Amino acid sequence: MIEHAASAMRRWLPALAFGVACGVQAAPPAADPLAWLNRAVQASRNASYAGTYVHTNGDRTSTVRVTHVMVGGEEHERIEPLDGPPHEIVRRNDEMFCYFPDAKTVRLDRRINAQFFPSILRGAPESLAASYAMSLGKTERVLGYDCQWINLEPKDAMRYAQRLCAEVGTGLVVRAKSLNSLQQVIEQYTFTELRLGNQVARSDAKSIFQARVKRWTTDAQPRDEARTVDTGWMVEKLPRGFRKVIEIKRSFPGRAVPVSQLIFTDGIASLSVFIEPMGTPARTAEASSEEGTTTFYARPMGDQLVTVLGEVPLAAARQVGQSVARRP
Amino acid sequence: MKQEISSLMDGELAPSEAEQAIRACCASEEQLESWHLYHVIGDSMRGHAPRTLERSLAFRASLQNEPAMIARPKRVLESTFARISLAAAASVATLGIVGWIGSQGGTPAGVPMAAKSSAIQPVAATATAPRAKAPAFDMREYEVAHRQVPRPDIYTVSNNKALAPGK
Repeated sequence: MIEHAASAMRRWLPALAFGVACGVQAAPPAADPLAWLNRAVQASRNASYAGTYVHTNGDRTSTVRVTHVMVGGEEHERIEPLDGPPHEIVRRNDEMFCYFPDAKTVRLDRRINAQFFPSILRGAPESLAASYAMSLGKTERVLGYDCQWINLEPKDAMRYAQRLCAEVGTGLVVRAKSLNSLQQVIEQYTFTELRLGNQVARSDAKSIFQARVKRWTTDAQPRDEARTVDTGWMVEKLPRGFRKVIEIKRSFPGRAVPVSQLIFTDGIASLSVFIEPMGTPARTAEASSEEGTTTFYARPMGDQLVTVLGEVPLAAARQVGQSVARRP
Repeated sequence: MKQEISSLMDGELAPSEAEQAIRACCASEEQLESWHLYHVIGDSMRGHAPRTLERSLAFRASLQNEPAMIARPKRVLESTFARISLAAAASVATLGIVGWIGSQGGTPAGVPMAAKSSAIQPVAATATAPRAKAPAFDMREYEVAHRQVPRPDIYTVSNNKALAPGK
């Protein structure tokens, strides 16, 4: 018996020594998915990175160049979609400047729901535990970097599964996939080229269009609208894990009155609920569509029109859309 | 049941489900109608002239109960998505055909065109046209408001109205 215990100890000693040796190094965290997610959030804020990523959502594909630097505790980011008419978004913390050189217009907005890969988590990763079972997947070489896959399995049918691939050194997410219930990839972000750390210059995050037009017309209306107001509306049957981010009124083109918008998130997926007076002629039927993770659902509700748009399955959008009610 | 018939035709059902659907599909006049309707839709979407439309009266009547869908028809086989998008495609093609019946006076050549165009564009215009009611949904403006990433094309339009030139 004693002999047996001794031999077991001999077998385990090297493993123990190895564990201690690993523990001495602060990063990367060994086997805690939450720690990896926290690193990913930190990296998307604090790391310097520049690269090009491809975003595929259903049939839609777009290529985006992104540069991100941290200067004096402020996040500076430049996002330049490379498809379609030229434009760019320059972000300083939550202030967004959208430059449209063709219209010679810069639009100022306050970031509420805008998410730019590789920053894809909203709020503290701890909140994800209510909605997803987290685990670590394999490690893999991606874009020449060693990466750790983090798996988020939905706990119900109200959201999609997520697979995040974090670069081991910084924790930055370099690839992200959303899967439907049949484990098919329906949305994907992936860098095709990525530079990290001191390979990135601060000037890279500045607008390339700003100098091109002498006089920019400034449209700051969206920023003024991005303030919390009481819309008088609520969602009675919010899917588990979702919380309200903000409640605002936004003007829409061609609408006489502002549209109420309520934004909800479960920490990674988000959805917006829009309520507006029914236009004429009135809509009488429900409508819905799904493309990639983007789901659209609309229904008439008395003299109001309710529209839900978000990165959730139709079941979730419908449940939300059908339980909109006046706040008592 | 209509969903099952639609799925059956796309070979998405398991053998046991398929058997059930086949049994049910000809059990009533209504199911027969759906069976016929989906074949007409399938034909027109593949660019063939549809089979005879002698059932067209009931066919038109059944359209009143079809929800107006605005999805782009798409096929992702063996997924729940396929079922939804297929249902959407069916509605779209259906309404496309109605438009054709009304406007072309029964020339089969119009059918593939109607089906094809509705497959490419957001279909709300086609879908709502026969009802001559609410205009097409513009999903983009909701998407822009949700993601806060204005697209230059729609932004420019609204901006020209909102701002005086040369300001």
